[in-house]
Amino acid sequence: MAKEMTLSGCAAAAQAVKMAKVDVISSYPIRPYTAAMMELSKMVANGELDAEFVHGEGEHAQLAIVYGASAAGARVFTGSSGVGVTYAFENYSPISGGRLPVQMMIADRALDPPGDFGSEHTDVMSARDQGWIMGWAENPQEAFDNHLINYRIGEDRRVMLPQFVCQDGYFVSHIPGKVLLPDQAQVDEFLPPYSPGNHVLDPKKPFSHGPQIRPDQGAIMDLQRGQAFLDLPQVIEEVIDSYNRIMGRSYSPWLEQFMTDDAELVFFIQGAHAATARHAIRHLRQKGVKVGLVKLRFVRPWPTQQVGEVLSRFKAVGVIETSTSYGNATRGGNLLPEVRTSLYDVPTRPLTTSFMAGLGGDVIPLEEFYWMAQKLGEAVKAGKVEKHVYWAGLEN
Amino acid sequence: MTVSVKTQTLPPIKKLRNIPREEMYVPGHRTCAGCGPALQYRLVAKAAGPNTILLGPTGCMYVANASYLCTPYHVPWIHTQITNGGAVASGVEAAYQALIRKGKWEGELPNIIVMAGDGGSSDIGLQAMSALMYRGHDVLFVCYDNESYANTGIQTSPTTPYGSNTTFTPPGKAVPEGKKLFPKDVPQLVIGGHPAVKYVATASVAYPLDLMNKVRKALNFRGPTFLHIHAPCPKGWKFEESKTIEMARLAIQTGMWSLYEWENGEYKYQHKPREYKPVGEYMKHQKRFAHLTEEHIAKMQAFVDARVKAPGVPVNLPAPGPREQA
Amino acid sequence: MFNIPKDRTVPFGCVTPAPVEEQPMMITGNWREFRPVIDQEKCNLCMNCVTWCPDACWQLDASEEEVVWNAKYCKGCLICVNECSTEALGKAYELDFPDGVVRLEKPF
Repeated sequence: MAKEMTLSGCAAAAQAVKMAKVDVISSYPIRPYTAAMMELSKMVANGELDAEFVHGEGEHAQLAIVYGASAAGARVFTGSSGVGVTYAFENYSPISGGRLPVQMMIADRALDPPGDFGSEHTDVMSARDQGWIMGWAENPQEAFDNHLINYRIGEDRRVMLPQFVCQDGYFVSHIPGKVLLPDQAQVDEFLPPYSPGNHVLDPKKPFSHGPQIRPDQGAIMDLQRGQAFLDLPQVIEEVIDSYNRIMGRSYSPWLEQFMTDDAELVFFIQGAHAATARHAIRHLRQKGVKVGLVKLRFVRPWPTQQVGEVLSRFKAVGVIETSTSYGNATRGGNLLPEVRTSLYDVPTRPLTTSFMAGLGGDVIPLEEFYWMAQKLGEAVKAGKVEKHVYWAGLEN
Repeated sequence: MTVSVKTQTLPPIKKLRNIPREEMYVPGHRTCAGCGPALQYRLVAKAAGPNTILLGPTGCMYVANASYLCTPYHVPWIHTQITNGGAVASGVEAAYQALIRKGKWEGELPNIIVMAGDGGSSDIGLQAMSALMYRGHDVLFVCYDNESYANTGIQTSPTTPYGSNTTFTPPGKAVPEGKKLFPKDVPQLVIGGHPAVKYVATASVAYPLDLMNKVRKALNFRGPTFLHIHAPCPKGWKFEESKTIEMARLAIQTGMWSLYEWENGEYKYQHKPREYKPVGEYMKHQKRFAHLTEEHIAKMQAFVDARVKAPGVPVNLPAPGPREQA
Repeated sequence: MFNIPKDRTVPFGCVTPAPVEEQPMMITGNWREFRPVIDQEKCNLCMNCVTWCPDACWQLDASEEEVVWNAKYCKGCLICVNECSTEALGKAYELDFPDGVVRLEKPF
C-alpha cells in the first residue's frame, strides 16, 4: 500500500533499493552515507530484502565487488562519500566502459584535507568525466525517486550505464522529510527485473570481457560511451514520463523552475540548498525583486539545449557552485563553465556569474541569497558582471 | 545468508594419461615461448573444467593472453584491475549465490578462479585477496608466481628472490647484490589469520598431476582456497625457454621452492628431497643471478636452509633487512 | 553518422566471443626458429609433451595411439624436446621444411 513515511535521505535510499529488489550490496562505512547501509543491513538481516550483503574492505573494493556482481548478471548497489568516492576512482571507467549499470549512492562530503564531515559536491563531481549518469536529489522524496528512476535508466538496453545517485550530505542524508512510498506493485510495474542480455559471465554462454585493445581501437572504444550519452537523453525523458505516470509525480526530466515566468534574475542550482533558495526568492519577491530558481536534476548528461533555451529568457543568472574546480576557466566551480557553454550559441544570452556557496558543509543562509540577488541586480544595471566568481559570505 | 550451493566434486586424476583432453585454455595466445605461467594456466583451467568463471587481474596472464581483442579462454573470463582480483571474484560469487537462491540462474555454482600474479596477490592485490579469504566466498585464488612484475618489463615484486637483477633492482657499485630484500612467504600470509580458509597449497609446473589435483581439491572445498604456483619465466629469469620445467624441478631440488598443503591446520609435504642440492645449482642457469658473489649466494643458501626446515611455517630466518645490511 | 574502419571496430563493452578449440586471431606458429620433430617409433606415449606444452600443441590423436603436432601455433620453445622421456623428440631448423614458416611482415 502506498504510504507516507518520515525518512532521512539515507533511509529513503535504502527503501528504494529494497523495493528495487537488488541482488548484491557492497558496504563500507564512511560518513555521511553509512546510515543507508545500516538500514539495508537490517533489512537483509530480518529477511525483508533477499540480497548478498558483502562487507567490502574499502571503497575501492566496494566498486570492484559490484563490478563483478553486475557482470555476473546481478542488480547491485553500493555507495560512498568524500574521500571514499575518490579512493574508488580507478574502478569508475572500467564499470562504465564495461557497460555495467551499477548504481552508487553518493551522500556527498567535502574532500580532505583535512577531515570535514560537511557536504560539498566536489567528491563525485571530480568523477564527472568517467561516463556515469549523475544527478542530485534535493530532499528525501527526490532521493527515493531518483534511485528507482536511475535503475530503470541505467539498465535500459539502449543505455547500459552506471549511475551516481547523489544527495547532499547531512542536509538530505540526515534531515528527515516526508516521503510518499509507492506500493511494491507500482515499483514492479515501473522497474522490471534486471535483464542484461547475453553478455554476462555465464558458463553456459562463455564470453571474454575486456581483452586488451590496440591504441588505434581506443577511440572506437571511447566512442561507444560517447554514442551512449547521445542516445541517453531520450531514454531519460521516457523513464521520467513513465515514473510520473505510474507514481503520480510531476518531475521535469532536466530543469525544475520556480517563479521564473516573469523573472529577470535567476539562481541556477543543484541539490539541497534549492530549498533555502526558494524561501529567499519568496521574500525577495515580496520586496519586488523579480527573481526565480532553475534547478538542475542531471549534471550528466548535461541538458545543454534545455539550459540554453531556459536561461536565455533571463537578464542575469547566478550559478550556485557547491564544488570547486581549482584553476578552471572561471576559477570557480564546475557548473558555470557548462552553463556558459550551453548559452554560447543562443542568440540572447543573460549575464552569468557564479557564487561559491555551501562549501564544506556550510549552510547558505537567506542573507547570502539576498546578497547574491543584489549582485545580480547590480550586474543588470551595469550591463555587465563585475566578475565570474564570488565567494559568498566571504566578500564585502 | 551465504550458503554455498556447490554439490559437485571433481575427482583426482591418477596419471598423465587420464588428464582430460578438452582444453579450457586453447592455443593462440601471445605469451612468451616456454612461458611458465601460461602452462600453469592451461593446467589449472583443464583441472577446473567447463563450469568455471575465470578472473584476470592485469598482468602477464591478462595482457599476453588477451592481446588483441581475443583471448584463449574457452570458459567465461573477465578482466579485473591488478588491485582487485579478490574483490571482483567476491562480487561474482555473491551474484551467483543470490541468482541461484532466487531461481534466476539454474545449475551448480560455477568454479570461480582468480588468476593473479605475485604482484596481484601479495603486493598491490593483497588487500583484496585477504578480504576474499576473510569473507569466506567460495572462490579459488591462484597466485602464479613468476617472481616479478613481468608484464611491465620485469620489475621487482615481494616474491622476487634476494639477489635478483630486475629493472628496479639492478646491481651496481652501490648495490652489488641488486635486490637486497628477502621475499614474502605468500601462503603464510593466507594461513596466518583467515579463519574461513581451510586449504592452502603450493604447486609447481614441474609436477603437473600434483598441481591439477590440488586445483580440484581446492575447488571441492566450500569456501575460499589459495594456491601458490611456481611458474618459471624464461624472459624474466633469463634462462633458455626450453628449460622451464627443468628450472621448476631444480627449484624444488634445491629448496628454493617447496611443495606442501596446509589443510585444517596441518601441513603435508610432497616431493620433498631427502637431500637438497646447493642453491648454486639452480641459480647458475639464470642470468638474473649472474652478478652475485660467493658471499651473496651464501646468504641465499642460509636463508633457504633455515626455511626448508619447516616450509610454510613461521620460522626465524636469516633475512637481514636493508637497514641491517652493510 | 560515424564511419568506423572495419579493422578498428570494438565489440560492445569490449566483450568478445570465447574461442572454442583455438584462437585464430593470435596465430603463433610463425614465431619459431626451430620445430620439434618426432620419431613415432621411439615414442612411448609418456604424455610429457602433451602435458607440458604451454600452447597445447601436442595432442593425442583420435585413435589415442599417436601424438600429433600443431604447426599453426607451436612457438618452438622446445620444452617438449627437453622433457621427452625417450628421445623420440628432436629439433630441426624451421626453414629446412617446405612448409617452414617465415615471420610475417605484418604481425597481426
